[in-house]
Amino acid sequence: MAGDEGTEIYEEREESMDAAVGKEEAEIKTEGKEDENILQFLDSLDGYLTLMDSVNSKLREGWFDLASARHSMGTLRINSTLLDLKYHPAASTLQVTDQEVGSLGSVPRFALSKWASKGCGSPKGKDFSTDTDSEIGSPLSQQLRHRGVSEKPSAKDETTLAADEEIKKERAKSLSVFGGLVSPKLRGAQLSFETALETLVEIANMRASMLSAFERITEK
Amino acid sequence: MAGRAPIPARNSALIAMIADEDTIVGFLMAGVGNVDIRRKTNYLIVDSKTTVRQIEDAFKEFSARDDIAIILLSQYIANMIRFLVDSYNKPVPAILEIPSKDHPYDPAHDSVLSRVKYLFSAESVSQR
Repeated sequence: MAGDEGTEIYEEREESMDAAVGKEEAEIKTEGKEDENILQFLDSLDGYLTLMDSVNSKLREGWFDLASARHSMGTLRINSTLLDLKYHPAASTLQVTDQEVGSLGSVPRFALSKWASKGCGSPKGKDFSTDTDSEIGSPLSQQLRHRGVSEKPSAKDETTLAADEEIKKERAKSLSVFGGLVSPKLRGAQLSFETALETLVEIANMRASMLSAFERITEK
Repeated sequence: MAGRAPIPARNSALIAMIADEDTIVGFLMAGVGNVDIRRKTNYLIVDSKTTVRQIEDAFKEFSARDDIAIILLSQYIANMIRFLVDSYNKPVPAILEIPSKDHPYDPAHDSVLSRVKYLFSAESVSQR
C-alpha cells in the first residue's frame, strides 16, 4: 500500500515536471520569436537611415548638376514652365505586391520598372526589383572590351543591347523638353535622379518591413 | 501585419511628388511624370505662392488614388501639413519624406521614425 502511494506520488511529480519543461520550452520559443522581431526591426531601422543618407547625397549631386546645367544653358531653358502637359504616361512605374516575410507576415513590396516602352503591352524597360542583398543595377550595360578575336554576340546580348538602345531613346526623349542640345551636366543630373529613385524604392521596402516588425513587437 | 486586409497587387503604379521645382524637374527627367487625359499630373510644384490648402488638397488626392504607390514629399513641406502626414497610416501609398535643396533631412521630424521612437523612450523601457 505504501509502495503504491509512493509510486503514485512519483508519477504525479513526473507529470508536473514534464508540464513545467513543456511550458519552459514554449516560453523560450516565444522569446525567440520576439527577439527575431526586434532584430528585424533594428535591421530595418538601420537600413532605412543608411539609405536616407545615401539618397540625400545622390539628390545633392543631382541638384548641383542641375544648377550647373542651368548656369551653362540659361535659366529660361531649364524651368518648370517647359514641362510637357500633354497627355503622356509615366515611363518609370512601380509594381506593388503583397509578400509573405517570415515572422513579419505579409508586407507590401515595391519594384521599380524604369523606362518601360510606352504604348506597348509588355514593358521593355529593365526591372529594378530591389533586394537588400542585390546591387543597384546600372542602366547602361558596361561590357569589357577584349582585344583580339571577337565572338559573335549571342541572342541574349542582342536583346540586352536592343533594350539598352530603347532606354537611351527614352532618356533622350525625357530631356527633349529642354531643347535639342543639352548640357552634359543635365544628363549627369538625370542619372543622379534615376539612382536616387532606385534608392527611394528600396527605402519604401525598408519602411514597410520596419513598420511591420514594429507592429509585431507592440502587439504584445 | 495582423488583422490587415491584403494589399491588391498593382502593375504600372505611379510615384507622386509634392516638392520644390528643382526636385520635381529632376525626377521628371528620371521618367516619373504622368499626365492623364484630363491633364491631371502626379506632381505638385510648391513655391512661395503655393498655399497650405493647396498642399493639403494635393496630399489628400494623391493618398486616395488607387494608381499611386509612393508619395515623395519634401520634409519642409511635410512639416506644413504635419498633422495630416502623421495621421496617415495606410501601407500603400507609402509616404516618403525627402530632403530639399535648402532644407536637409532631419530624422527627428520624420513621421515614420516618430512613430517608432516610442520603443526607445524611457517609458517603454520601464514597462518591460
